[in-house]
Amino acid sequence: MEKIEITLNINDNPYEVMIYPNDTLLDVLRDKLDLTGSKESCGEGVCGSCTVHMDGKPVRACLTLAMEAQGAKIKTVEGLANVDELSNLQQSFIDHGAVQCGFCTPGMLMSADALLRENPNPDEKAIRKALAGNICRCTGYAKIVQAVAHAAQPQDDCCDCKSKE
Amino acid sequence: MLLPGFDYLDPKNLEEALDLLAVHKEDAKVLAGGTDLLVRMKKGLLAPKVLISLKSLNELSYIKEEAGCIKIGARTPLADIIASGTVQDNARALSQACEKIGAITMQHYRGTIGGNILQDNRCHHYNQSDFHRSGHQACHKNGGKICYARENADRCNSTCQSDGSTALMALGAKLVLLSKGHERTVDLDKFYTADGIMPHDMESHELLKDIIIPINGARSAYRRLAYRSAIDYPIVCAGVLVRPSDSQKDRIDEARIVVGAMGRAPLFLAQASSSLKGKKLDDTDAFRKAADASMDSAATFAVHNVGSTLEYRCSMISPLVLQGLKEAASEK
Ligand SMILES: Cc1cc2nc3c(=O)[nH]c(=O)nc-3n(C[C@H](O)[C@H](O)[C@H](O)COP(=O)(O)OP(=O)(O)OC[C@H]3O[C@@H](n4cnc5c(N)ncnc54)[C@H](O)[C@@H]3O)c2cc1C
Ligand code: SF4
Ligand code: FES
Ligand code: FES
Repeated sequence: MEKIEITLNINDNPYEVMIYPNDTLLDVLRDKLDLTGSKESCGEGVCGSCTVHMDGKPVRACLTLAMEAQGAKIKTVEGLANVDELSNLQQSFIDHGAVQCGFCTPGMLMSADALLRENPNPDEKAIRKALAGNICRCTGYAKIVQAVAHAAQPQDDCCDCKSKE
Repeated sequence: MLLPGFDYLDPKNLEEALDLLAVHKEDAKVLAGGTDLLVRMKKGLLAPKVLISLKSLNELSYIKEEAGCIKIGARTPLADIIASGTVQDNARALSQACEKIGAITMQHYRGTIGGNILQDNRCHHYNQSDFHRSGHQACHKNGGKICYARENADRCNSTCQSDGSTALMALGAKLVLLSKGHERTVDLDKFYTADGIMPHDMESHELLKDIIIPINGARSAYRRLAYRSAIDYPIVCAGVLVRPSDSQKDRIDEARIVVGAMGRAPLFLAQASSSLKGKKLDDTDAFRKAADASMDSAATFAVHNVGSTLEYRCSMISPLVLQGLKEAASEK
């Protein structure tokens, strides 16, 4: 196996990087480019903690070869915030206590962000469906669903969250 | 988890892909979405020397109506099939099956219909890490001479858990396979080898081009059970089709009942299916009998190797088939 130089377009920046053909997109993001927001948990497509966008669609970076990501617009959790201002969705996760250990959070955010771009006003069922492939072992999901619903459309009676003040 | 090493080839058109397959043969594997192949490679179940990617072959991604059929290119993502109006209208079982496959972020954009049909059979004794498997004597599929799932079995009984194949077999689909200078069309019914080690009757230098589904006024439905619906493979599923007669619109001319995740291939149940010929579309009694007969036949093939108990999986065949038949018969 020989190393190959490829260019990846990540969060609107071009990255030139030397990789092996068997490097996954997740390996390259985390180990070569220091974009460690995307997490590896299962490594086999089950948990969703590695979710990133390719051309706006959520995909598992642990099962995508870096070679296959060439030419696509890749977005990772590092690309959600605007410089140092968190996105509405990220802020809503904090306000609603949707983060505990935080390991699932980047993947949850990317799945939810893709949903809100496609459907800016999803009902609870649509939110649960979009997040169904993301496992969280801490929160029990209710607060994550609330956080996404609130980011889509702030509601007065959703809970005691700060963001309604 | 690391992938074993391989050379990555990215042919720019179909001809180039077929040339590469003809040269590399069994050293090569085709890479579509990778959501089945890469998992198996990570687990050390196979280590192809070459991966031939379909990334640049946009010519294999389409859904079109042609000569009274729906044609779906092998590299079409599941998301496109779910969104397709013609599939919803003329092949609802496939639409429903694709929607049930894994999770949106998992399969729907990367996962393809070709990869879904050609994914390997599974078994909970085999689809495990190197470490897990190293604690046991090797079974047939791992190069040994025993089977943990069925005592004294002379061959592998791994289970076909493809949702897409079960629905497509009910729909009477055909596959078009290409190799350099050659094209053949096979009925999906006849595409399976009855051996869990190499379940598909396909050569290493062949490429799946497309899938053909007849449009003939039939109605269809798909039902399945899985532990966690968004993550897990089906542990039992059913695809059914009923085609009303042209002369008597309230009577069934042809029915096809296929039970999946219960054997080495989706099981087309010929007797149960033909028992519905001539029956009325609202004859629930006949549906119930056909569903029970499906359960009796399919249960003889299944082994305990995809989770849950065999008793439970078998006992759920009849309700799934019955629900499917009722839904298909009352469509439109
Ligand atoms: C967590 C998880 C859950 C899953 N749940 C389900 C489920 O519920 N139901 C289900 O059916 N599947 C499930 N899958 C399996 C898989 O994701 C899907 O079947 C998917 O559709 C496979 O498509 P792919 O394009 O990713 O296949 P790939 O992995 O790219 O290919 C699969 C196989 O087909 C071969 N191949 C692919 N295309 C061609 C072609 N055109 N010509 C020749 N050979 C080809 C490859 O060489 C490989 O051997 C699951 C997988 C994971 C990881
Ligand atoms: S069915 Fe038997 S031979 Fe086949 S993988 Fe399972 S244990 Fe091995
Ligand atoms: S790490 Fe990719 S799905 Fe779990
Ligand atoms: S917050 Fe810990 S896994 Fe979700």
